[in-house]
Amino acid sequence: MSKHSALNTFGRSGNPAFTRNFENTEAFSQSERMTLDGAVNKTAILLTLCFAGAFAGWNVPALAMPGLIIGTILAFVTIFRSPAKAGSTAPFYAAFQGMALGGITVFAEMQYPGIGIQAIGLTFGILASLLFCYKSGIIKPTENFRLMVFSATMGIAILYLVSFIMSFFGSGIGFIHSNGLFGIAFSVFVVGIASLNLVLDFDFIEDGAEKGLPQYMEWYGAFSLMVTLVWLYIEILRLLMKLRSR
Amino acid sequence: MNAIFFGVLTILSLFIFMNLGKIKASKKQMNRDDRINWGGKRRPNFQQNRARSKIIEGSAEEVDDDTQK
Repeated sequence: MSKHSALNTFGRSGNPAFTRNFENTEAFSQSERMTLDGAVNKTAILLTLCFAGAFAGWNVPALAMPGLIIGTILAFVTIFRSPAKAGSTAPFYAAFQGMALGGITVFAEMQYPGIGIQAIGLTFGILASLLFCYKSGIIKPTENFRLMVFSATMGIAILYLVSFIMSFFGSGIGFIHSNGLFGIAFSVFVVGIASLNLVLDFDFIEDGAEKGLPQYMEWYGAFSLMVTLVWLYIEILRLLMKLRSR
Repeated sequence: MNAIFFGVLTILSLFIFMNLGKIKASKKQMNRDDRINWGGKRRPNFQQNRARSKIIEGSAEEVDDDTQK
């Protein structure tokens, strides 16, 4: 018996989204199990809804803020309440986040024309190239890889949260938003970490399909991919804006 | 030109995602001992178990009474 019994029970991460026990698959028939086809098709549905939402947000930029708030609430509900209900929450999440992204892109386009299509192209370019690297085995995610990416993601989230709270008191963490060398380096680092999160999403979907998890996990896998893509798009947009403003 | 290049990149990337995403990952990726355990239960570590086991590897040798003497 290992001295580290907590590790045996929960694995390396304490994140509730990663530590649920999805391995009780005997109760599901073959047709009710997660497949790669299903997860990819559901990601395509969510992307279509996101683009539809973005079209609405592009034409009515006032929808950006409500879209962002409702989308964020739906993301937390999906992660912390029940992944089994991802099929009903994820499509709304994609549509509302699409509205937010459409509105944000309009503001970016007004300052730097052509920046939106660059950010979209780079986001999907990274998605495709990392998928190739994952499928071919060039990038091999391990427990240490997950620990590293998860720690860096949490670090960035805390930094953004502190900056957000400080902004209410008239200050903030300057270098995060600056277009100096340090600000650009920080943005490149964040884009890198957001990209590596895609690899974790691919591995989660591949592992789920291999184990034959229940079919609703296709929606959960597609949802987690969407969350990462939305984050990656925003970070690439921020990076391009910093570069163009120099 | 900018829009055409990044537009084509987007469509091409989505096409790659839709096709490559449905294909199973390579054996090099799947058949590893150090894969991430998403379920929470730890996978048996065969390398570690092998080191801890009391099985002595090598060819079997028949022992009879004469050789023992």
